[in-house]
Amino acid sequence: MSWYALLLFVAVITVFPFVWMLLTSLKGPTDEIFSVPPQFLPGSPTLDNYSNVLDQLPVPTFFLNSVIVAVAVMVLNVLVAALAAYPLAKLRFFGREAIFYLLLGTIIVPVQLTFIPSFVLAVNVFHYYDTLAALVLPSLASAFNIFLLRQAFRGVPGELIDAARIDGASELRIWWSVLLPIIRPSLAAVAIFTFVTSWNDFLWPSLMLHTRENMTLPVGLVALQGFFSSDFRAIAAGVTMTVVPIIIFFMVFQRHFVRGLSGAVKG
Amino acid sequence: MTRRFTLTPYLFLAPALALVATFVIYPIAAVAFYSFTDFDIITAPEWVGTDNYRRLIADPTFWKALTNSAVYLIVTPTIIVLSIMLAIVVNRRLRGISLFRALYFVPAVSGSIAIGISWRWIFERNGLLNSALISMGLLSEPVQWLTDPDYVLPIAMLLTVWAGVGYYAVIFLAGLQNIPDELYDAARIDGCNRFQKHWHVSLPGLRPQIVFVAVISSLAALKVFDEIYVLTNHTGGVLESGTTIVFYLWRQAFVLSNAGYASAIAIALLLATLVFSIGLIRVLERGDAT
Repeated sequence: MSWYALLLFVAVITVFPFVWMLLTSLKGPTDEIFSVPPQFLPGSPTLDNYSNVLDQLPVPTFFLNSVIVAVAVMVLNVLVAALAAYPLAKLRFFGREAIFYLLLGTIIVPVQLTFIPSFVLAVNVFHYYDTLAALVLPSLASAFNIFLLRQAFRGVPGELIDAARIDGASELRIWWSVLLPIIRPSLAAVAIFTFVTSWNDFLWPSLMLHTRENMTLPVGLVALQGFFSSDFRAIAAGVTMTVVPIIIFFMVFQRHFVRGLSGAVKG
Repeated sequence: MTRRFTLTPYLFLAPALALVATFVIYPIAAVAFYSFTDFDIITAPEWVGTDNYRRLIADPTFWKALTNSAVYLIVTPTIIVLSIMLAIVVNRRLRGISLFRALYFVPAVSGSIAIGISWRWIFERNGLLNSALISMGLLSEPVQWLTDPDYVLPIAMLLTVWAGVGYYAVIFLAGLQNIPDELYDAARIDGCNRFQKHWHVSLPGLRPQIVFVAVISSLAALKVFDEIYVLTNHTGGVLESGTTIVFYLWRQAFVLSNAGYASAIAIALLLATLVFSIGLIRVLERGDAT
């Protein structure tokens, strides 16, 4: 019995900031938000705060932009990493170790270090300032993902690959039809990691995205906080609007998330 | 048998290498170059030699930022301890346990901005925390949590720990489930109580996960930005109390347009990270040998 009490206690600690935001977002103008003692439940609940936010800021567009970027990054990044990881794991060629250690070394580099030159590249070379492409392209190379997938490929028995080669399959075909299906759990784990990281990314998108309609969720939320500054009810509505769908989505797919995350680190 | 040269491995690697060259290798070289210049991103950089570095060494804000970032590393052992404890608690066949596990994971998927904004309103002068503490009689006056130089960094760290524990607990949970039951049985037969059981069986069994989390979490702690940005309303806190290295870099480059100086900060950050990583690997390897 006491275990449930502990679990419940931790659960309350985990979700109470969001619950507080939810409750505040439903409060009408006469409900206290800063009272002592705090008033939890709205006396006259209203959805006005939500319509207020939606009138002023394109929150659904923020969502859409985040989805577009996160999906694009997830798919492309994982493909690039899976392509790179295969030869590093299973093929022999000149420079293999050097390339591997070079990639490994880049994991240590803090990504924020690259922002100043990336900014210059975005404006002068790629001309994608204030577009979603600016969020996708720099995120496609992840040495970390390459490392994880290389581990996964190494676990595949060499005989399978040899058999496919004897059958005359090209390396690309072997990679796509034989190996990728085998490492699917690792692919899923890496894909989920990558999606969540892209979804929550703030600093680089805030540097790139200028127009409201191009903003992703984190950038849009900060704009929302700035726009409504001391209107706590509106801000609460904005935050709740963005967090609730994510929580629902996560709860539905949580088994995959959890399985993916736990599969990523094996002894 | 001689190896036949084929292009295939290189073709597979080409996209990744091209991207890494463009977005990691080139930027490192570029930042190194910019650090010796006066650069505002818009006009061409002007060479100034080691001026930026001399200024950096004499800059009290830089050292404060470095100190803050070093202090921030405390979140890593904290997260590891709390996550392992949480993983042990939820590693039970109780009814509805998967619902709890899912709940604990929510902060990890909500995003640091949404979390930061939520927490900011709780710690505001007339926010929930002060209201609750005053109404319980534990405070007589509201505390300025977010503008008090002593509290800002700990609050940011608390936020990071709070958001991270559920996430890392999942990793440890998987690790726990890989530990064979026989080891626990043996421990019980040897007369271990609950605590000793975990100390002698669980912790050693979790070694790979602990190493993984230690590296990931500490590298992330050195790069922390979002929490500081939201909690201090992008000011870095009173008396730079919340300014971390990356925050200082961002402010110099993108608010004050001192990209040359910021590049010097970036190189300093790179060196600090390098030194730290080497140190961490040494420490972890020594643990391996024992």
